[in-house]
Amino acid sequence: MLFKSSRLISSSAKSRATQAFFTTATNQPNVVIVDGVRLPFAMTSTIYQDEMAVDLQRLAFKGLVDKTALDRKEIDYVISGTVIQEVRTSNIAREAAINAGLPNHIGGHTVSMACISSNAAICAAADKIKTGHASVVLAGGCETFSDVPIRLTRPMRQKLITLPKAMKKGGALGAVKHMLGLKMKDALALETPAIANYSTGEVMGVSSDRLSAKFGVGRDDQDEYTVRSHNLAAQAHENGFYKGEVISYKGSTEENGIKGGSTKESVGKLKPAFIKPHGTHTAANSSFLTDGASASLIMSEEKALELGFKPLAYLRDYSFKSCDPFEELLLGPTYCSQEVLKRNNLDLESDIGVFEIHEAFAGQILSNLTAMDSQKFADEHFDGKRVGKVDMDKMNTKGGSLALGHPFGATGSRLVTTAARRLQMEQERFALIAACADGGTGHACILERYDN
Amino acid sequence: MLGRSVASKISNHSHVVRSIAKRNICGADLVNSKFGQVKYQRTHPSTSSVHLFSSVAIENPEPSSSKSRAEPTAATVAPFVSTAERKYEFFQNVEVTNEGIAVIRFDNPSKKVNTISFKVKDEAEKLWETEIEKNPNIKGVVFSSGKPDGFIAGADIFDIQSLENKEEVVPLIESATDFFQGLKKKGVPLVCAINGPALGGGLEWALWTDYIVCTDSPKTKLGLPEVKLGLLPGFGGTQNLPKRVGLQKAMDMMLTGKDIRPKQAKRMGLVDLVVAPQSLEAVAIESARKLADGELKKSRGKKKSMMDKLIEDNQFGRHFMWQKIDEMVKKNTNGKYPAPFAIIEAVKYGIEHPKGDKKLKFERESFAKLAATKESEALIGIFDGMNQMKKHSYGDVAHPIEKVAVLGSGLMGSGIAQVTAEKGYEVLLKDRDDTSIARGLSYIDENWGKKVKRKRMTKFQYNINSSNIVPLTDEMESWKKHFGKADMIVEAVFEDINLKRKIVAEMESVTPDHCIFATNTSAIPIADIAEGASRPDQIIGMHYFSPVPQMPLLEIIPHEGTSDSTKAAAFQVGMKQGKTCIEVKDVPGFYVNRCLGPFLVEVSALIRDGVGLKELDKAAKNFGMPVGPIDLADNVGVDVTSHVAKFLSNADLGDRMTGGDVSLMEDMIAKGWLGKKANQGFYTYNGKKKTISPEVQAYINNFKTRDLGLKEEEIQNRLISRFVNEAAKCLEDEIIADPVVGDIGLVFGTGFAPFRGGPFRYLDTVGVDQYVGMMNGFADKYGPQFAPCQLLVDYAASGKKFHLK
Repeated sequence: MLFKSSRLISSSAKSRATQAFFTTATNQPNVVIVDGVRLPFAMTSTIYQDEMAVDLQRLAFKGLVDKTALDRKEIDYVISGTVIQEVRTSNIAREAAINAGLPNHIGGHTVSMACISSNAAICAAADKIKTGHASVVLAGGCETFSDVPIRLTRPMRQKLITLPKAMKKGGALGAVKHMLGLKMKDALALETPAIANYSTGEVMGVSSDRLSAKFGVGRDDQDEYTVRSHNLAAQAHENGFYKGEVISYKGSTEENGIKGGSTKESVGKLKPAFIKPHGTHTAANSSFLTDGASASLIMSEEKALELGFKPLAYLRDYSFKSCDPFEELLLGPTYCSQEVLKRNNLDLESDIGVFEIHEAFAGQILSNLTAMDSQKFADEHFDGKRVGKVDMDKMNTKGGSLALGHPFGATGSRLVTTAARRLQMEQERFALIAACADGGTGHACILERYDN
Repeated sequence: MLGRSVASKISNHSHVVRSIAKRNICGADLVNSKFGQVKYQRTHPSTSSVHLFSSVAIENPEPSSSKSRAEPTAATVAPFVSTAERKYEFFQNVEVTNEGIAVIRFDNPSKKVNTISFKVKDEAEKLWETEIEKNPNIKGVVFSSGKPDGFIAGADIFDIQSLENKEEVVPLIESATDFFQGLKKKGVPLVCAINGPALGGGLEWALWTDYIVCTDSPKTKLGLPEVKLGLLPGFGGTQNLPKRVGLQKAMDMMLTGKDIRPKQAKRMGLVDLVVAPQSLEAVAIESARKLADGELKKSRGKKKSMMDKLIEDNQFGRHFMWQKIDEMVKKNTNGKYPAPFAIIEAVKYGIEHPKGDKKLKFERESFAKLAATKESEALIGIFDGMNQMKKHSYGDVAHPIEKVAVLGSGLMGSGIAQVTAEKGYEVLLKDRDDTSIARGLSYIDENWGKKVKRKRMTKFQYNINSSNIVPLTDEMESWKKHFGKADMIVEAVFEDINLKRKIVAEMESVTPDHCIFATNTSAIPIADIAEGASRPDQIIGMHYFSPVPQMPLLEIIPHEGTSDSTKAAAFQVGMKQGKTCIEVKDVPGFYVNRCLGPFLVEVSALIRDGVGLKELDKAAKNFGMPVGPIDLADNVGVDVTSHVAKFLSNADLGDRMTGGDVSLMEDMIAKGWLGKKANQGFYTYNGKKKTISPEVQAYINNFKTRDLGLKEEEIQNRLISRFVNEAAKCLEDEIIADPVVGDIGLVFGTGFAPFRGGPFRYLDTVGVDQYVGMMNGFADKYGPQFAPCQLLVDYAASGKKFHLK
């Protein structure tokens, strides 16, 4: 077990069993979240339309280093999460790091785990720290949909790749002959990436729509939830909650996907977007295509204190369980939350004060909440022990992906930063972060407030 | 940002810069490749002006603190003694490969860069005779360099300067070109291996060889910058270059003096091969062998395109081309620089006399004529002056400067941040809030974006430069932590003494003890800012000129208590930023703005005396100023200009700020005629057109009190004498140390006619006594503002000159 702690937890709210888990003797370092930032998340093809994903990650890394006044030389490693890959920047973490002016010697790798890529980055950072391979890691993620790789068809690609060979053999005439073997539709068509699962061939929205139907989550509930997300996000920006967390891009911290004045009526007007005509998922109650980047500063507790930082939270434990992509593609949060809570002897209802759960679709999140609270589901999967009922007053109170947007690779770090900052502001002890992702993978992790 | 560098703003006009960078260099916008399409790529002003001359013969590119100014460099090196290990002074010992390829490496151990002088040529002759000519085993020769990153930076201008009678240079050049031609007589292939700069005489040497290999290093650049010194390429360059790259490209290179980078050099046929530095010599040797064995053909230059043939290879096309070139040169030099015309003539002569040595004779005779012109003397004087400015006597910097904080992200602050970040410093750019910072960053971004677009900067370099800037605001908690590591602060905030003192106190509390505080004030005495500071010895003035990235001058203003180490730091940072730094005393207006004060007053006086606005601009331009004063005021802003004039009127200049009426511009401010930024100043701006509206004309007519019907010469003299006299007064009052500083300051700060070499060289040329006589005449006619200063009177009486040469 990787995440063990020698630190005694003082919270009285915690069960003895939890204490027992955390105090298992070990000399592994504690992992702390020191700080985190994100570039304003923005609707695709708006403010970032001329930027590459690597530039967004570069700006997020640089913004975090500038904000924290961290000496660049102290960084041991960088990890980025990204989903839609630009071939020129396969290891986007490395390119972002050196283009952000970080010293050349810093190692870096890129992870891809669909919508939880930056969670994977952060947890990989935690592992590096736990195992003593690093003490200061920048972990984040980035995504742009403003410039996705649009490809020629497979037959066309094959022809082009073998063209030089044909030319060598038959000259110009040979080349022409070689290309003539191509069907017109293959020559002219293009392949654009779809937000669909590879194995099932199903678009995410369709999966989520079916999941909602399974858990009886109706259109009404989804729209209501959507309106809540937008209004809370708008409020959080207005109240200045995101000051410092959202760094400015060209002088602005506006996140342009947030529709502050949303009402159920306005949202209710939209037609189903995936399953027609009776589906419940619309363009409004699904997260929109977003460009953005985020970064988290992860350190060992010792190093953070040595450098004079006041960490926000401990990263206590995490889970990356997966489930059946055909049946319950986006139900990962339920399974992962269950695992991570159980392992740490934490009770969702009595121990967790802050919830940050990724909102891919209103239907998906409500399905997960229903599953967590369902006795039937618990009987089927968790030996009868419900995960618990999430208190809505503690969940995504600063808005969620539906409103802020969801740049695949960047969302995870956003969740962690917001959760960690909320722990400090709301003086809660534990935060549960959870997110679903393509492939039926899911993620959950536990943060504990750091008392400075 | 009121009163921010008054003249600074004045000199800030891009035209000024261009004039320094271009006019002075002479005829820039040339026929580039094809007629009509002037897609001329000018080097960026800041770099071009800074590198204005650096290419020709650099004495010591690094700032040296050991020598004091004005002391001639080199010349006092111990005489060379030949040994077996080191047979030659300017060359490494010749190595011959097994296959008979001789490698001759230029290497002058007493200098950081190789230069060509007649001494070098003499020794080369000896080397050639003893080691190559008589050795039958030599199958080929490679010329290379023993310096890690430089081929030959140019010809040593000292050779020319030292000749009293420039005619004497003719036989010297002849012996050199004879030598070059003699190289060919051996009949073995000659290959040139170039890494780093190959400029002027260096490139001319290469042009005599059969095959040129250069590296792809960013340091490698090829060019014939002689024109920037008012000269022409005299070692056969005007004849050999067109043969290699074609007429149009050759004219572009020689008339602008611009550098050619490796890729471009290959494209245009200037070099035959571009290789990595690591394999340069091996490839050059291999090429020489192949040439000897007939496996490789000698370079014939690039094959001409149809279009080029149409233009260059027949009389009609050429006639058209020459016409275009003539037009361009006239436009860009205003006819003030003889060198470009001489270059054109030399090339034309070569086309008309392709056979025999007559063309080389013509070339060297033209060279001697140019060397004797006052324009060339002036330009070489500036070049020398620039090199002198690189030295100071303040010793070392106490604490290395790595992190520079810039306070204020206005036009000035962000400009300073830009040039600082570009040179690898980490820059903390601080302003009030995100919006202000973003404005500054976008200004910098725009400037760098242009460079990326023009391929003057890679995207990577752009990213690195951007990451060197840490934008900070008061709202960011960490700003103090950042400042805790700052080595120098450059303050560019609002001109308010109380604010500045407050900032000094705040900075002293958050920065480390060694941190230097530089203020970019233009209106407040440095001593006043330092008053009450706890580390006054670390306070200094650094007066930049706007726009900072383009303007090449920096005034460094210590106050009484400034320590030497602080001065050394200011020089170090300023020079690294690419600025030519001059030290100036802490007086109102410092040097450049102070000189502009009386000049501005005179503008109003001339208008009052009936001189038209356009007439005024034309007179100044014909004198050689980059822009006329009216144009300048509009571009800088009538409000800013007026503020400067007013500020200096209230300062300590006495009579010298009288004789005019500065209310001229004050009333314009009230009317909202603020200059180009308001589309209405003296001129009315409508797109690219500028006219004088009837309204302005009426205003001017009303301001006018009489019409003296002044001739252009008198207008010029009234205007310029105010300027020049003030410069002399600054020397008299020891505001500047010597005439060299005075010349460099006004040429680089205001664009003062570079071909005149600055105010002091101008005085030398005209004759001080004559000038004093003229000013006395003006004083009788117009008033005491024209009274020449005591120093001028003394010089006139003694017949002394400001510059010895």
